[in-house]
Amino acid sequence: MTDSSLFRLRVEFGKQGRLALLSHLEVARALERAVRRANLPFAVSKGFSPHMRIAFGAALPVGVGGTSEIFDILLLRYVRPSDALQALQHASVPDLMCTSCAYIEPTAKAASVAYPFSTYVARFTEAPVRLEVPAEITVVRKKKEKVLRSEEFLVGPMLLDGDTVRFTLQAKDTGSLRPDVLLRACCEHTMANGASSAEPDVDSSITTTPSPLRVASITRVRQSATAEEALR
Amino acid sequence: MELTNLWPRLEPLLADAERPARYLNHEFGCVLKSDADFNFCMVYPDTYELGQANQALRILVNCVNAQPGMAAQRAFLPAPHMCDVLRDEGIPLFSIEGCAPLAEFDAVGITLPHELAATNVLEVLDLSGIPLHASERTDTDPFVIAGGPCAYNPEPYAPFFDAFNIGEGERAMPEGLDVMRRMKAQGASRADILLALAQLEGWYVPSLYRWLDEAEAQERGSWIEPVRDGLPTVITKRLFEEFAESPGWEPCIVPFTEVVHDRLNVEVLRGCARGCRFCQAGMMYRPVRERSADNVVDSVLEGLRCTGYDEVSLTSLSSTDHSQIADILMRLNEACDGKGVRISVPSQRLDSFGVDMAELVAGQKKGGLTFAPEAGTQRLRDVINKNVTEDDLFSAIDAAFAAGWRRCKLYFMIGLPTETDDDIKGIASLAQRAYDRAKAAVPPEQRGSVRMSVSCALFVPKAQTPFQWDGQIAPEESLRRVALLRHSVKYRAVDVHWHDPDTSFIEAAMSRAGRDAAAWVEAAWRAGARFDAWSECFSRQAWEEACEQTGFDPAVVAQTTYPTDYVMPWSHISCGVSVRWLAHERKLAGLERTTPDCTFERCSACGACPSLGTDNQLAAPRTNAKSTAIKPDRNDSGATFNAGSASFEESGTVQPDTVPTCGGDMAEKAGSCMRADYGEGERYD
Repeated sequence: MTDSSLFRLRVEFGKQGRLALLSHLEVARALERAVRRANLPFAVSKGFSPHMRIAFGAALPVGVGGTSEIFDILLLRYVRPSDALQALQHASVPDLMCTSCAYIEPTAKAASVAYPFSTYVARFTEAPVRLEVPAEITVVRKKKEKVLRSEEFLVGPMLLDGDTVRFTLQAKDTGSLRPDVLLRACCEHTMANGASSAEPDVDSSITTTPSPLRVASITRVRQSATAEEALR
Repeated sequence: MELTNLWPRLEPLLADAERPARYLNHEFGCVLKSDADFNFCMVYPDTYELGQANQALRILVNCVNAQPGMAAQRAFLPAPHMCDVLRDEGIPLFSIEGCAPLAEFDAVGITLPHELAATNVLEVLDLSGIPLHASERTDTDPFVIAGGPCAYNPEPYAPFFDAFNIGEGERAMPEGLDVMRRMKAQGASRADILLALAQLEGWYVPSLYRWLDEAEAQERGSWIEPVRDGLPTVITKRLFEEFAESPGWEPCIVPFTEVVHDRLNVEVLRGCARGCRFCQAGMMYRPVRERSADNVVDSVLEGLRCTGYDEVSLTSLSSTDHSQIADILMRLNEACDGKGVRISVPSQRLDSFGVDMAELVAGQKKGGLTFAPEAGTQRLRDVINKNVTEDDLFSAIDAAFAAGWRRCKLYFMIGLPTETDDDIKGIASLAQRAYDRAKAAVPPEQRGSVRMSVSCALFVPKAQTPFQWDGQIAPEESLRRVALLRHSVKYRAVDVHWHDPDTSFIEAAMSRAGRDAAAWVEAAWRAGARFDAWSECFSRQAWEEACEQTGFDPAVVAQTTYPTDYVMPWSHISCGVSVRWLAHERKLAGLERTTPDCTFERCSACGACPSLGTDNQLAAPRTNAKSTAIKPDRNDSGATFNAGSASFEESGTVQPDTVPTCGGDMAEKAGSCMRADYGEGERYD
C-alpha cells in the first residue's frame, strides 16, 4: 500500500449489535461493498483478477463486536474526509457503521499490524463474585492442540467491575489469544474452583453449580500501538 | 395483526450456530413494511446461502411489497443441525426480516426449485407448526402456496399445498394474494377463498379436484375431476407479459455471508426456443422475450451502483443468444473499465461466437470453460435436438484454448432415450479428440497444463418435455454405462466425473409421479429424509423405508416408458406448449430428425404463442453469428420481432439445423441452486 500517487484513507467503523456475529470475511466483504456504494474513487489492483485496494485491521472473532475497528482504502484522488465519511455512512447499515476517517501516510504500518494491543470489555450474564485466569489455556489450531500461557498475552490485569470485565491482549507474531477463548477458559476455571470451595453437595451423584458463569457479549473498545497507550 | 418477534429467543442460540450470518437479517437493502394488514412470507426450502440469490424469491418479495397493505418477508430452512436445535428449544421457523413465526403469516409461499426439495417442504411446514396437509388447516392457519419449476407437475406435492401458482408470478402472485386479503377481510371462509382462487388464471387448487385412478385417467384424458362446476379442467401458466419492457434492475438484498450466485443478477431474457427435447426449462419458459440492450446496460450499471457488488451475471437460459449480446458486453466492458468489476454470462453457446463472448468478459483471468454437448455422437445429439455438431465444439475448443483457456469441462447425459453403448464410447472419443484439439491450439511448452474433464449426469425424464414419456434407466445400468465410459477413456489428462444415480432416480420419480407419490414423500420425510439435494444428507435408506411403508414403487414411475398417447399425471397443467407437439417432437427424435429454433428460423408450432396470446419478443432479429469478428450492433430499437406462426403439419421436411447451441440445461442446473453447485466455479472462471 505504498504508492505515493494514491491517497490512503483510514476509516474507523463499529461492528455492533447482532452484526457482532459476522465473521471477519463477512465484514470485509460488506465494507468493500459499502465503499463501492459510496462511489469513492478507489484504486484497483493490476493483474489477473483486479480488485479493490482495501486493507483491514486485525480480525475480530465471530461474536465479538468492536467500537473502533479500522480499514484502509487507497483513493485515486483526494476526497474531503468529511465527504467520504458522509458517503460511506449513507452506504452502510446501522450496525456496521463508519464513524470517522482521515488520511494517513502512505508508509504508515498496515492496518492489520499497526495496533497490536486490543482492549476488550466483556459483559457476563450475571455479575461474578470473582474471576480467575488460568495460567495455561489449551487451544486447537489446524487440528493440533496448542497450550498458550495467558500471561504472555494479557497486558495488565483483568478488571472486574460488576457484570463487566476489561482487559488488554497483545497480538504476537507467533499468534494470539482470542478474547472469547480466554473468557471461556476463565469462566470454566472460576467455576471449577468455585465448585470445590463451595459447600459440599447434598446429592453426591449430581454436582450442581449455582448458575453457570457465562459471557453475554464481548466488544473490542480500543486498539493501541503500545502497551502504555492501551493501559492509559 | 402484530407479528411475534422471536429474536430474543433466537439470539442466545446463535453463538454456537454455524454461520450465524444466515439468521441475522439487517442486510443492506432488506425491507420490513410496517403498514400492512396482510403478511406474506416467501420461503426457499433450503438454507440461506442456497436460497438468498434465488430469483423467484427476490422478484416475488418485491412484487408483493409493492402492493399497498401487503408486506412480504423471506424465510429459509436453517442448516440441518439448527433445525434440530430449534425443535429442541421449541422455537418455530421464523422469517428473516421480522423474525416472526411462519404460522402467523396470512400466506406462506414455498418455491419448488427442483425435485429434491420435497422433503424440505415438509420440514418447513413441520418446523413452522403448520399442519402438513391442506385438509387439516383451519381459518387460523396461513394459506400455503407453491410455485416454481416443479409446480408444472404439482401432484406429488398436492396434499401439502392449498394452491399452486403455475408460471410466472409477477402478476399472478399479487392477484392471488389480493383475493385472499380482500375475502379474509370480509370474513369469508377458507374454503370460499380457495374456491375463488381456483377461478383465477394460473392458479390450481388441488383439493377441488378428485384424483382418478389410472384406468379412468386414460379413458377420460385427464387424471383430475373437478368436485364442483365452474372450475377449469386445464390450468395454463401465467406469463409476465411486460417482461421485455420491465427494468432489469430491481432492488435486491446484499447478503453478508457468502451465498451461491453472490453477485448482481440481471435477467437479460426469458425463455429458450432451442428445443432440446430433454430440457424442461426450454419448454416451460416459452416464448422468448428479450430485454433491450439499453435496458440491460442501464440496469446493470444502476444495480452495481446500488448494491456495491463487484460482479454481475447476465442471467437467462441462453444469454449468448440475445440478439444484442455483443453490444451489451462491449458497452458494459467500457462502462466498468478500471473498477474491478467482473461480468459473467452463465450460459454460453457452444461455438466460437460463444467463446468470443466469453473472452469479451473474461479479461486476463481465464480458468475453466464449460460446454454441454450432452451426447457423444451426432446421432444421439440429433435425437435430443441438441443442435450442435462436432465442428461447433471443436471450433469452440480451438478458439478457447488459443485465447488462453487451459481447462475445459464437457457435460454429458447418460441414459438418454435410444442411447447405445456406441453413444457412450462416443463420449470418450469426443472428449479425447477435444483434448487433442485443445493441445494443438496451445504453445508446446504449455501443453502439459491442458485439462479436459467429462461430467456425466443421469438423464431425468421431465414433465412437460418431449421425453416425458421415456423411462429412466435403472441406477445399476447407469453405473454400468459409467464404467464403460471410464474404460473407454484412455487419456490420463481426461478425467471423468459422474453424478450419483440414486438421487437422479428420486428426481425422476418425483418428476413423473402423480398424487399418490405424496404419501411416499411424507413417509420418507418421517423416516428422516431431508436436504436430499445435499449429497452428505441424502438417505437412500429413508426413501426405501418409505416404499415399504406405502407400497409406492418409484421404479415403475421413474423407469416405465409409455406410448405418446398415454395421459401423463400433469396433463391438466399447461405451459402453453401443446401435448400434440411434444408427441410430434418425440416422434422426430425417434427418426433422428431435428427441429430448428424459432428465434433464428421459422416457427416450429409448439403452440406456446397462440395459447398464451403472445409472440417471441426479440430486441433485434437474431442471426447465426458464427464469425469471430465482433461487430458492435447499436440497433437497439426495441422493436418486436415476430417470428410468425405455422403448424408442424405444414412444416414438411425438417432441415438439419445449423444453429449453434448453448448450455440450456446447464443454465437450469446452475439456477437450481443445488448443494452440488455450491462453490462450483463460474463458467468463465
